[in-house]
Amino acid sequence: MRKVGYAQSGRVVYHQSAESLSFFFPRVLPVDKLLNNLCTIVGSDSVIADADELLVYECDGLTQHKHRPRAVVFPQSTEETAAVVKELARARVSFAPRGAGTGLSGGALALDQGVIIELARMRRVLKVDVENRLAIVQTGLVNAQLSRAVAAHGLHYVPDPSSGASCTIGGNIAENAGGIHCLKYGTTTDHILGVRVVLSDGSVVDLGGTGAEAPGYDLLGVFVGSEGTFGIATEATVRLVPLPLAVRTLLADFADVNDASRAVSALIAAGLMPAALEMLDGATIRAVEASVFAAGLPPDAEAALLIELDGLEAGLDTEAAHAEAICRKHGARHVRHAKDEQERKQLWAARKGAFGAMGRLAPDLMLQDAVVPRSRLPEVLADIYRIGAHYQLRLANVFHAGDGNLHPLICFDLRDKDEVRRVEAASKEIVQTCVEAGGTITGEHGVGLDKKAYLPLIFSDDDLAAMLQVRAAFDPTGLCNPGKIIPTPRGCGEARIIATSQAQTPAQQTMPTANAMRPSVTIQTPAHNAFAPDAAQRQLAALVGDKNIALACDEQIESTQHALVVAPANVAEARACMCLAARDGWTVAPAGACTWLDAGNPLTRADIFITTRRMTRLIRHEPADLVATVEAGMNFAAFNETTSRAGQWLPLDPPDDGRASVGGVVATGMGGAQSFAYGQPRGFVLGLRALLADGRQIKAGGNVVKNVAGYDLCKLFNGSYGTLGLITELTFKLRPRPAHEATIIVRAPDVETLINCARQLRAGQFLPVALELLAPALATTIGAPGATDQFALLVRFAGNDASVADQAARARVLFKSARTVSLELVEPDAHLWRALAAQPLRTDWQLIWRASVRPSNLSALLVALHQAQRDHVESLSWHAGLGDGRLRVMQTIETDAPHVVATFTSLRDTAHKLGGALIVERAPDDLRRVSDAWGLSAANARLMRSLKQQLDPHELLAPGRFFASEVRG
Amino acid sequence: MSAQPLQLGSVLAHEEAKLLACVHCGLCLEACPTYVQTGDENDGPRGRIYLMRAVEEGRLGADAPTFARHINRCLGCRACESACPAGVEYGQLLEAARADLTNSRREHGAADRLLHFALRHIWPHPARLRLAFAVARTLRDTGLVRLLRATHLPHLLAPRFDLALALLDGSRAVRLTEQEREPTTQPASANITTSRALLFDGCVTEGLFARVNRATARVLALNGCATERPRGQVCCGALHAHGGDIEGARRLARQNIEAFADDNAAPIVTNAGGCGAMLAAYAHLLAADPQYAERAHSFSARVRDISQQLSVVSLRTGAPINAPVTTYDASCHLLHGQRAASEPLDMLRAIPDLEFVPLTGSDVCCGGAGVYNLIETELSMRVLDEKLKHIAETGATLVMTSNPGCHMQLSAGARLKGLRLRVCHPIELLEASYRKLAEKSSDAGQETS
Repeated sequence: MRKVGYAQSGRVVYHQSAESLSFFFPRVLPVDKLLNNLCTIVGSDSVIADADELLVYECDGLTQHKHRPRAVVFPQSTEETAAVVKELARARVSFAPRGAGTGLSGGALALDQGVIIELARMRRVLKVDVENRLAIVQTGLVNAQLSRAVAAHGLHYVPDPSSGASCTIGGNIAENAGGIHCLKYGTTTDHILGVRVVLSDGSVVDLGGTGAEAPGYDLLGVFVGSEGTFGIATEATVRLVPLPLAVRTLLADFADVNDASRAVSALIAAGLMPAALEMLDGATIRAVEASVFAAGLPPDAEAALLIELDGLEAGLDTEAAHAEAICRKHGARHVRHAKDEQERKQLWAARKGAFGAMGRLAPDLMLQDAVVPRSRLPEVLADIYRIGAHYQLRLANVFHAGDGNLHPLICFDLRDKDEVRRVEAASKEIVQTCVEAGGTITGEHGVGLDKKAYLPLIFSDDDLAAMLQVRAAFDPTGLCNPGKIIPTPRGCGEARIIATSQAQTPAQQTMPTANAMRPSVTIQTPAHNAFAPDAAQRQLAALVGDKNIALACDEQIESTQHALVVAPANVAEARACMCLAARDGWTVAPAGACTWLDAGNPLTRADIFITTRRMTRLIRHEPADLVATVEAGMNFAAFNETTSRAGQWLPLDPPDDGRASVGGVVATGMGGAQSFAYGQPRGFVLGLRALLADGRQIKAGGNVVKNVAGYDLCKLFNGSYGTLGLITELTFKLRPRPAHEATIIVRAPDVETLINCARQLRAGQFLPVALELLAPALATTIGAPGATDQFALLVRFAGNDASVADQAARARVLFKSARTVSLELVEPDAHLWRALAAQPLRTDWQLIWRASVRPSNLSALLVALHQAQRDHVESLSWHAGLGDGRLRVMQTIETDAPHVVATFTSLRDTAHKLGGALIVERAPDDLRRVSDAWGLSAANARLMRSLKQQLDPHELLAPGRFFASEVRG
Repeated sequence: MSAQPLQLGSVLAHEEAKLLACVHCGLCLEACPTYVQTGDENDGPRGRIYLMRAVEEGRLGADAPTFARHINRCLGCRACESACPAGVEYGQLLEAARADLTNSRREHGAADRLLHFALRHIWPHPARLRLAFAVARTLRDTGLVRLLRATHLPHLLAPRFDLALALLDGSRAVRLTEQEREPTTQPASANITTSRALLFDGCVTEGLFARVNRATARVLALNGCATERPRGQVCCGALHAHGGDIEGARRLARQNIEAFADDNAAPIVTNAGGCGAMLAAYAHLLAADPQYAERAHSFSARVRDISQQLSVVSLRTGAPINAPVTTYDASCHLLHGQRAASEPLDMLRAIPDLEFVPLTGSDVCCGGAGVYNLIETELSMRVLDEKLKHIAETGATLVMTSNPGCHMQLSAGARLKGLRLRVCHPIELLEASYRKLAEKSSDAGQETS
């Protein structure tokens, strides 16, 4: 019998084939109108509904969970996917997206007779944009195929999970997949620039995709890693990265696992930044050596480290020698250097095949996935082996040591019930051990169905409730991959929380017990009460002390006359303030150093400003982990000064005149010139704590560099400008501080020459960390050497001494041949970049806006700018990131407001036409009232509104910053 | 007959350990040509193993149409084996599954019945087989097949019939050089014989590609290897094993073991990837046969592809030939069954100035897969289209492959699509190069090295 087809009559019949009896007795299934309609949409050969054929779809890469779906549908386009989802929504049938089914969390299963939407037939590369280093692909495309498709252009797609040969980009997005190269290059979330998503009602929305620093909440960031519960990504815009210029791959083997894990910490603490740092233990080595992936690993070793260093040829051997010396110092018996690409590939194939190779040892495998801080590896590993021995299980470890991402592999036989029980017990104990060591329950495999029960180990009920609220904003129908991620111990409580959260009053919960608090009472809040400043001041003073309250007008904060500025000393005080405000219906504007309070649209009302400026403690900084936790009010510069002492830093250069707080940097989400190389703040926040509008304190993320437990709410707070909550504590991923930095300044009379210089540089063997183009006026202001009437290109190199010297020398040669006027090497160069970063905060600018487009479109945008402002081109101050397509324009306004509005409206149109965005960062009030600061797309605005509605239903936090308030007090 | 009558599911049940070796990681998916075409888990190795395990566990009947459909849609190319970190012996599992299918199915289609009739009543009998191939050759060489196809009648009648004719026509010898010049002499230079090998003819190769067998012998001789063709050798049994007739395959295997028994030290050389992989699998096929298990084991250990055999000698360099741009498509069973990846290409290095372009996806099946193309024609043609697309990208007009099935599939594809594409065995090209050398030396009238 053949696959089911659907006859015109609406009956489901089997196609006949020679070897089937159905030729004589066509089997008729009960009428299923839904399946019929699905077949109408995608064609009958794209629907599987035969029970036997559905068998293989009952599980993904993890066979312990089995749920047979009602049907599998294979759409071939976004439109078909949307139509299918619309049909399912109409029929109220739940669905789960599936890629290659290589996931290891039971995430791609359809529970309760849901439908699987299988994207395996959507595998087209839609566009490769070499100049902007991106590709647009259908999400069913296989990870390795993407890299193969762009290899001819010298590019690749970095995230390379071990299943890369089969897994799909869509699945990678759902799980925020990691891989072996994420130590240096980050995980999937750092490499997805945009996604086209079909939401659960069948509507289609584009998230991200507008280039650097897109306006509004980081919807893309929170979508990545949502495990198919927010919607189905059908197309993705992915970042492509040049293939490494030079690579050194080292294999160090040890007689003792502990020596190897100590070497890992030592490598990181020494300031090396390997592209990959992997560990295989003895059992794994021996299994791999018995497989087709044998790579000559010493079978008598008890651990092997696979270290890959990449970068410029210059200085790389020195780094490799340094790494080798560290390994030897920590007991490495041999250190083997891969002599060619073939040997390198062989070593990595051995690593990637390890999971499968272990299949030789037992019928079934349990591959755990948990993360611990790197520095705790030795003790946690010892615990894991102890647990394995205790439960009499064969256990091996193969993992991303550099990330502290453990993958204990337990061998067992599913048919042996007692052994299965022991495996479950051991798994739980292992996860608990990792959590107790400060880690997390999953680093890259996701929660799915398998780890739901573990989520409460790291998140409180409040945290989980907030996650459910965010989920409800994306999927109000509850049909999108239900039953995954968030545990539902109270039966179908998930649905209940989603339903009630919409009608919830801000805080039907008890007040926290801060010192100065009155006894716990239940807060009943009518929204937006009238604000009585005097009474409020008295109440707040009781919480934070008299001298920590001021009138906003005294602090030069433009706002309503009576607003108060409150500065709590710690989280407890801040929470008490938030609860009080929630109870009394006061509106709150969260603030850090109060430098960007006038960003965005004017606040419709702000009764109190809560500033974190007294919350400045450095809570934890462990150099071997490259991680630091601080209170949100800590000064950004001071933070970097502190971490610098350990040779580390947060490589961000946001607008800052020395006042910026770390919380503010995150809340505004702004990067700077170096975001070209290092990325924006969104990529550095590993975890945070925040107070929500109703005073609930929630935690998002964690303390480790890889973490996919629950939704990545950290992203949501990035660029949220205080509209979702007050960030109180942040955990950052740090980087080794480069040993050497230098800047070459090229001046030329026209923009095109400099853009060409940058283009040549990008095409050559260079790794600049910043490529910033400055208008003549601005270049002069920050003290760049050269003629004052010429544009300036600032090229910054950073790294080891050899690589900086080598690049600077070669860049000189390159630029000399261009039609440039002057060329100057500045080192040390920190003062230049500090001066540039301070510019946007100068009070004499009345209008500051920034645009982001694809880098190749930047010159078109600059042309538009110069045309629009042709009367005073000379006095225009702007700087543009040629590597990431940022443009910031700062000006004083001489002309009338309508003209200014018309100007940037037309520029915004240009930016939108180029696929980018334009945001007003600062403008006079009268201007802000007539023109929207953000220019959000309707679909994005709708999602943002529903997020805001979920987390702050009464619009108590910074109301009006993104949208005019819908709630009237 | 040493085997017991087979029970339902019994062959798979016997292979339980091999089924359990699969850890469901999915690394095989993209290696599978049918999965890549359909995206259906049922059409991928992992899914098929899952179905086998379901049958073995009794969750799915061995007579379930789903099982039959998806096991039959497998090309059997074994590319998944090369991708599998757990070392799952998929080829053997597939044969077990097909055996269970054959034993359990209530109904057989017409094509199926015809195939099994031929395998049972023609293949095992050398005389009948020779007669059948002689008829086929006559049809081919008289141009009747070509004439018939030119009328478009076969296509109108049944595209599958047209394909069958195209396959037969595709086995014709092709011109290997740009300017044809009939060979005047045999390679003249004397050789010092340093080794000895037994040649395995193969039924289809000897029937339709006898020239390849002769070329194999000549090239070996030129490289100091004396060859013999043991009498009494029969079909390797691959078609039987892949078609689910394991007992038929075992019978043939025993005959071959006997035929090659006179010199237990000499390597057994084949030039057909499919046959080679089958011969190398005799050890597994007869593992449970107390009388033959040990002999089968040592037999399999002696099997070499011609390219593997040549890789151990220092290969003589031939003369440049004026061949068109050339590419190479690996026979799946040569690559995944015998693990000969680089040897065939190394062999070509002996031809100076050969303009060779590597083929993207040369490690992917062409869709021929024995008689698969005539049974699962639609899927086979989709896989073939992909292959022809990649060949077109290389710009080559001569494609080499080391298996008669692949040879005919590619050649038929070119005919059906009207492409200017010639197909040959790499050994043919190497032999042409040696022949050229001989011509040169005889032209010059003096000895050359």
